[in-house]
Amino acid sequence: MDLNKYAALFLSESREHLTTCNRLLLDWEREPGSTEAVAGLFRAIHSLKGMAATMGYGRLAELAHRTEHLLDAIRGGRAPAGPTVVDLLLKAVDALERGVDDAAAGADAGFDPGELPAALEAAAAVPMLAPKPARVAKGSGRKGGKTSLPATPSAPVPVAVPVQLPEFGDVAGRVVRVEIRPDAPLPGARAHLALRRAEQLGKVTGVMPPAAAFDAPGFDGRFTFRLETPIGETQIVAAIEAAGEIANVAVDADTVQTAEWRVPTAAAPSATPSARSGQVRVDRRRLDALMSQVGELVVARNRLLELAQHQPGSELEALGARISRLVSDLQAEIIEARMTPVWQVFDRFPRAVRDLARQLGKQVRFEMEGEGIELDRAILDELGDPLLHLLRNAVDHGLETPEERHVHGKPSEGRLVLSAARERSSVAIRIQDDGRGIDRRAILAKAKREGIVGPEVELLTDDLLLKVLGRPGFSTAERVSSVSGRGVGIDVVLTRVRAQGGAVEIASTPGAGTTFTLRLPLTLAILRVLTARIGTERYLLPLSYVAETVDFDTQPATEVKGREAIVLRDRIIPTVHLRALLGVAGGVVPARRPGLVLEVGDRRSAVVVDALVGQQEVVVEPFDAPRGTPPLFSGATILADGTPALILDAAALV
Amino acid sequence: MSHTVLVCDDAIFMRTMISDILTQAGFEVVGEAETGVQAVEKYRQLKPDLVTMDIVMPDMGGIDAVREICRESPEAKILMCSAMGQQALVVEAIQAGAKDFVVKPFQPSRVLEAVQRVLG
Repeated sequence: MDLNKYAALFLSESREHLTTCNRLLLDWEREPGSTEAVAGLFRAIHSLKGMAATMGYGRLAELAHRTEHLLDAIRGGRAPAGPTVVDLLLKAVDALERGVDDAAAGADAGFDPGELPAALEAAAAVPMLAPKPARVAKGSGRKGGKTSLPATPSAPVPVAVPVQLPEFGDVAGRVVRVEIRPDAPLPGARAHLALRRAEQLGKVTGVMPPAAAFDAPGFDGRFTFRLETPIGETQIVAAIEAAGEIANVAVDADTVQTAEWRVPTAAAPSATPSARSGQVRVDRRRLDALMSQVGELVVARNRLLELAQHQPGSELEALGARISRLVSDLQAEIIEARMTPVWQVFDRFPRAVRDLARQLGKQVRFEMEGEGIELDRAILDELGDPLLHLLRNAVDHGLETPEERHVHGKPSEGRLVLSAARERSSVAIRIQDDGRGIDRRAILAKAKREGIVGPEVELLTDDLLLKVLGRPGFSTAERVSSVSGRGVGIDVVLTRVRAQGGAVEIASTPGAGTTFTLRLPLTLAILRVLTARIGTERYLLPLSYVAETVDFDTQPATEVKGREAIVLRDRIIPTVHLRALLGVAGGVVPARRPGLVLEVGDRRSAVVVDALVGQQEVVVEPFDAPRGTPPLFSGATILADGTPALILDAAALV
Repeated sequence: MSHTVLVCDDAIFMRTMISDILTQAGFEVVGEAETGVQAVEKYRQLKPDLVTMDIVMPDMGGIDAVREICRESPEAKILMCSAMGQQALVVEAIQAGAKDFVVKPFQPSRVLEAVQRVLG
């Protein structure tokens, strides 16, 4: 059997199981009495063991086996649980993760779990008050061949069941002696099957050794019984052989026949084989390629529609409309296929937060919400590092030590919440801590010293705070910890999130904590935009942030905090003149200009442009802003007529 | 007519492998289940000629699923898929009505032999 085709499946499923293990171990740590966690752990490790053994990853399978053995002992009440065991199992899961990676890289033979097997062994052997004999023992005289896992060494339990012939009395019946093939796995279970076959022929009595002892380590696959049946010898032999893996069946025991082993042939292929499974796994690169093809198709479609516009009522127009619908449907299907629940990335965080909190001597209650919310897989894959960075920051700098919290009258356990929620056509991911909050005065002072803000600034608003924190290399950490490190700051988070077409917001209250919000589009590759004209240039705005458009020059104007604003239904909305902001000089400013009301979270602004050109779907290309570009753009695209255009970052405009 | 099979295992890896082995031998895999509850439901719905049943599954294990299926359909032909060291559980499954068993890691020839015995 060609195992290569299963390697990718092995890798992805094993990793999922190990992620589950991490989560369950943390659950278990929180609720030591939970039997569900142990049962789930056992299942996950058991599955991993089976897969590893099937793939021929012997070393990995062995470590999984020892881990499973310990879990089984705990589950069965034969070994104690507790914090040390959880730590040990966490280490085992780490090692298994390494082993899975090694095995996938073709280096299973080099996988070295170090002292772990011995430690797992020792933990499983810790006696409870009333120790039970170990189930598996060495030296049963059977070798399961290369497929078997090493039996757990433990004191051999002598189970001396003498194999003897049943007594011949006056009871009618024939004595049958059965011998299971020596290389058959689970000979005891096989013996049970043979016995059941015999029971279908007549009355079975005098089973020796007793069927209950078939499971015992000393069972060598040979047993006898008395069978009362009118059926002839040949049929008896055939019926029992049908139980499979039978080396020998002797009836009336004095004449020993050696049954020849027949290999049944597989059923001949007849009808078209088909696997009607509900789901298939698709390589991410395939989805990406598909998405990019559809992106190209969308651009071509847009061009086709433009051409068709020039021939109203023509066949071209009708065909264009039809193709347009088909492309939209196809695009929707592919986007749907790319949607992935955020837990696939969130799942590794509880473990990271726990380890970090321990390392720093902090008490942290970490909660996750909205794990089922879905995002484009490409976006989600980019979020792991930024989120981990923000979580680390929160534990390291945000949350206080239990002593400090106590001084401020807070519960000693700090709260850290990671949540995802759907908002309009975007997803908001929040990291919220109830720690000390950001020291605005210290940051303002530092920002002034470094000339980031002018000396006239008296207060850092949340927006300004983010701008300061987002400066490359800006760090206020008094000490450099091994955890949050140096240099990797909020700027990296901002860059990564913006590259995904997203935005970052911050809200911090002294003494009460800090919340970071990452706002992300549902999908990256294709964006509905509003095309605006300023002078002769065209700029694009993501439609998902446009709440409405108004006629700017007829709106009542006002002023708020020294900024121009419009009044819209009793709400004051600051205005942004794109022409001035982008430094566009050419063209004539029209007398009546549209204003686009952008809404990002609960912030709004009215963006004034020269004219609106229309709506369209564009394929977002990665955008590396040249130095000196104002931080106002989230991406770039090629329009239907082939000209490039920049996509404005809505969050930077409100 | 090829025989129809319901494959029950919580690991996609195992389901894929078993399906491949059986499909290549001319069987028709008509359904898959990843929990015991699903196995019982799908058996009712599909009435397959053969069921392959993992022992350790979430949401009702394989043995309880065998018990439930055989209670409703004593003629059900169920092949247990077990791991080394699960002898006691396999025996329990046999007593519950399973017709045969194979042990992981699977060798296709052994799986097909067992399937033939069960269907035979």
